[in-house]
Amino acid sequence: MSFLAQTVRQVLRQVPNRSSALAGAMRSLSISPAFKQQNKPAAESVDISAIAKDHQKEGLEICERINRQVAKSEQGRLFAVVHLCGKQFKVTPGDIVLVEGYWPPTTGDEISLDKVLLAGARDFTLVGRPILEPGLVVVKATVVEKTLSHTKTHFRKKRRKQYMRINFQRSPHTMIRINSIELARPVDGKSEAQESPKRLF
Amino acid sequence: MSNSHLFLKSGFPRAPLQNGVGRYVCQLQRITLKFCKNNGSSRGMRDFIENHLVDFAKENPGIVVYVKPRRHRTPVLVGEYLNGEREWMSCRNNTQEEISKWVDLLKTQNGSSSSLRLRKMWHTDVPSIQGPWTPFLLRSPESQGQVYPSEEASKPLETPQTATEKLIELFRQQQLEAGEEAHEVLNKKRAE
Repeated sequence: MSFLAQTVRQVLRQVPNRSSALAGAMRSLSISPAFKQQNKPAAESVDISAIAKDHQKEGLEICERINRQVAKSEQGRLFAVVHLCGKQFKVTPGDIVLVEGYWPPTTGDEISLDKVLLAGARDFTLVGRPILEPGLVVVKATVVEKTLSHTKTHFRKKRRKQYMRINFQRSPHTMIRINSIELARPVDGKSEAQESPKRLF
Repeated sequence: MSNSHLFLKSGFPRAPLQNGVGRYVCQLQRITLKFCKNNGSSRGMRDFIENHLVDFAKENPGIVVYVKPRRHRTPVLVGEYLNGEREWMSCRNNTQEEISKWVDLLKTQNGSSSSLRLRKMWHTDVPSIQGPWTPFLLRSPESQGQVYPSEEASKPLETPQTATEKLIELFRQQQLEAGEEAHEVLNKKRAE
């Protein structure tokens, strides 16, 4: 029994060290910027809250200016970077985008591309971390064509081994026309921490 | 072999007549199904005509469907498009499902699927909205007015302190301390 107790004590002694090592590992894995992760106490002479307030004020001012521009509809043509079937496309209204491989939507379908990584106009850019808040920017598109690519030749040969294979393949292509990109609601300077509970993904 | 791509035309993605800007217009105008009434090779085609063709025609009122029986010939699908192109497709020994798949493909295409190698998967009329990037974008004006060769710009960003510099610094510190001591001594003497 005494032996068991000893081992338990040893384990207990080791625990704090281990936990710190784990925290270090997690820190290296996580995506959030490095300045957030530093657990050192900040220097007392610098007043962080005042700086943060200044930053917030500036951000709000910028948001207000963007909102004013959008309300007057002076923002001009919008563009967006959307994530579509594993690829990212920079699109603006009137663009044509081709999706390679099997993709269920058929011709005439009107779809909205929800994963918007970035949206911008002449004077401002909204950058998502990694995607913008759902519903902030609405990108609408129409499926125009579903066709097959040209015949691709897949030719393999091994020299001096009497081995030769030739395969042909055509992969499905889907053509999409981007119809509109709109700012659905005014931009607010709040963080995108609060998520709507409806979304599954 | 694979030299066929030497003569393959290449191009960029286009949609005919601004299709999809306002609404989508089906580009297939006419489809002709040719088959034989008693040959085995057009059995799938006959099944398709019996089971699915009426539904297909009802679903797509914009497409004219012709059915043409002919003796002892292979079954064939022909589609005619708005841009005047015509796609001919042999359906010999195809099953009903295969034929419905090919018909669907003819319907969803914009023209005959010519062997066109696409060079880009994206087409835009407005390539840049905030202006194209240049190396001088978002740079400080000082760096733009820099005259080369300049000593400051050609230095590495971080140079470790050399041993000589360290020694000099140590020596200066010592001197300073010695100076302070001397000052103290002088002050003491003055006080006395």
